[in-house]
Amino acid sequence: MPPTDDTPPTDDPRPDRASARAAGIARREALLRRTRRIRRAIAGTAAALFCASFIAIYAQLASGHDPALTADAARRATASSKVVASSSSKHETEAASSSSSTGTTSTTGTSASEGSSSSSGTTSSSGSSTEGSSSGSSAVTTSQS
Amino acid sequence: MTTLSATTTAVGPHIFWITSRAAGIAALVLSSMSVSLGLTMAVRLVRGKRVEIRVAHEALSLATLAALAVHGLALIGDGYLKPTLADVAVPFLSGYKTLWTSLGIIGFWTMLLLGVSYYLRGRIGAKRWRSLHRFAALGWALGLVHSLGEGTDASQAWFLASIALVVVPALALLAVRWLRLPAAARTEATA
Repeated sequence: MPPTDDTPPTDDPRPDRASARAAGIARREALLRRTRRIRRAIAGTAAALFCASFIAIYAQLASGHDPALTADAARRATASSKVVASSSSKHETEAASSSSSTGTTSTTGTSASEGSSSSSGTTSSSGSSTEGSSSGSSAVTTSQS
Repeated sequence: MTTLSATTTAVGPHIFWITSRAAGIAALVLSSMSVSLGLTMAVRLVRGKRVEIRVAHEALSLATLAALAVHGLALIGDGYLKPTLADVAVPFLSGYKTLWTSLGIIGFWTMLLLGVSYYLRGRIGAKRWRSLHRFAALGWALGLVHSLGEGTDASQAWFLASIALVVVPALALLAVRWLRLPAAARTEATA
């Protein structure tokens, strides 16, 4: 008995091809979605990273703990202390020279320029040798700076 | 209140400088991640997910270039250094820490040219492009040296810790890549 031909033919390629095409499109769209998601995530990460760094540096700077500004402030403080030291030594030198003009310690100025105060200490009176020695050392510092 | 005002610093004049520093840090982190992903593909560390890794590598590279552009351009607005566009774009022109600055500029141009060459690999040829693209890691290394040598925050613990998190894996992968290169060359030669 021959088989009845009611059943549809199974070797028709069209439904398989269509489903494969649909699956391919779905796969491609899924890949595009994943790609978009990755790009968005990285853009967000980059923005977050920038903002976090910005806030950290901002807070560091605002609180006065910025490494560059701290170093700069320290350098300025050192420079200003040197200026103060040199200006004070100038005043002392001027004071010493004015005292030498009175004729009590004529050798103090010489000892300051030479940097030794032992001889002036012996010749001078009323503690002018101490001034002479300090001005001598200050004068050396000033010339170095 | 007096104590607070004595210890704080006016931030307004430094806003461009802060922007440049933040962008530089972001660029270093992003480029380290990008290099790591690129090397992961090169040494075939991860099976599958190749498309996703490639997309992430590309996006990270573009984000790095954008951050580097902000890093350089923001510096032009800084009122203390006052660099010109040429100072931040041409090596050995800036008078401020010339060597470290130049290393950063060369690193940027290396990364830009080798990054953009990805879109021209059809013309260049895939094999030639791949051998050229290896030097992108050199650009990253120059940027790393620039940040450690010149970076204002290079002495800060938080900076070093956050950089180490991304730089150490990249360096390890780079070492693996270098160690595998002679083996790959031997395999190609015998094939």
